[in-house]
Amino acid sequence: MICREVKRVVYFFLDGSLGPNKKQDFDKHLKLCPDCDARTKLHERLRAFLKRRVTNLSSAAPDHLKTRLTRSIRAFRNEWSAR
Amino acid sequence: MKTAVANEHEQGWDFERAAMPYVDSLYNTAYRMTRNSEDAEDLVQETYLKAYKYYDKFEEGTNFKAWLFKIMKNTFINNYRKKKLTPHKIDFSEIEESYERVIQKNAPDLIKDPETEIFQDMMDEDVKRALDSLPHDYKMVVLLADIEGFSYKEIAEILDCPVGTVMSRLYRGRKMLERTLLEYARKYGYIRGEAEPAKMRSRKDEAKPRKKKDGAGDEPEAQEPEENEEAVLFTGTEDEEFEFEVEETEEEQFEVE
Repeated sequence: MICREVKRVVYFFLDGSLGPNKKQDFDKHLKLCPDCDARTKLHERLRAFLKRRVTNLSSAAPDHLKTRLTRSIRAFRNEWSAR
Repeated sequence: MKTAVANEHEQGWDFERAAMPYVDSLYNTAYRMTRNSEDAEDLVQETYLKAYKYYDKFEEGTNFKAWLFKIMKNTFINNYRKKKLTPHKIDFSEIEESYERVIQKNAPDLIKDPETEIFQDMMDEDVKRALDSLPHDYKMVVLLADIEGFSYKEIAEILDCPVGTVMSRLYRGRKMLERTLLEYARKYGYIRGEAEPAKMRSRKDEAKPRKKKDGAGDEPEAQEPEENEEAVLFTGTEDEEFEFEVEETEEEQFEVE
């Protein structure tokens, strides 16, 4: 595997989606190429960073929304039952 | 047609019990799609009502969360298309090139210190802006894969597109997002690049979009969300130039060969 190929499939390597042969080639390449190894780790860290930060940014759905959902589902149900 | 209501006695409060646990995930994704809490609430409500109405169409044994997301995506697209947004073109070779420049400038600093959280000082507002700078379709696949944890196949199901398209959008979406994060990080001093010294920013600056400083660097600016209101809506062209050979294995996992 050449560096260019590593760049092309690095995300799929991190997703665990490389086929067994490709994964083996990838691992082999990382052992021999510190640049690609460092890059792969950087991608991994960026992904972890994003996941952590976006999860922190998330908030619970507001209570009034939950009430609104339950109410509209039940209203819909009653409307249909009445037919 | 046998509706959820016709089945009411059998199903009882099943739907609510099954669907309500996903309200936070749906709401947060809706918020990231619409970027506005009122629209997000409306979108979630419409999604729940549709899901309830068609609950009998849900196939037992398939992923219920993915099914809800699919309904939400369809509802969003329907509402969104009414606004007749023009598709947004992306120059992919530009992305690849500028990504290389950005990563080469910044990677050595970032790799030195693997223990600390990367960009730990980055403000939430910048993380949000980076995400919003992605064209809609790319933002969706990144959120569904990297935040919600759906598989390629589930995302393909939610978005009604081939697995290859999901993979290609993921590749590009992740790359664009990383580039933007790295650019912000250097520009605002979360990491020290060569082009600009670290500088302090106050909370006040958060709200307004920042202007490019003269001579701040030769990379193209990250797209500001304000300038990126159009979305790429299933233009389909992006897959032609970038294809993966994918294989469906026995475990229904997709693998790159």
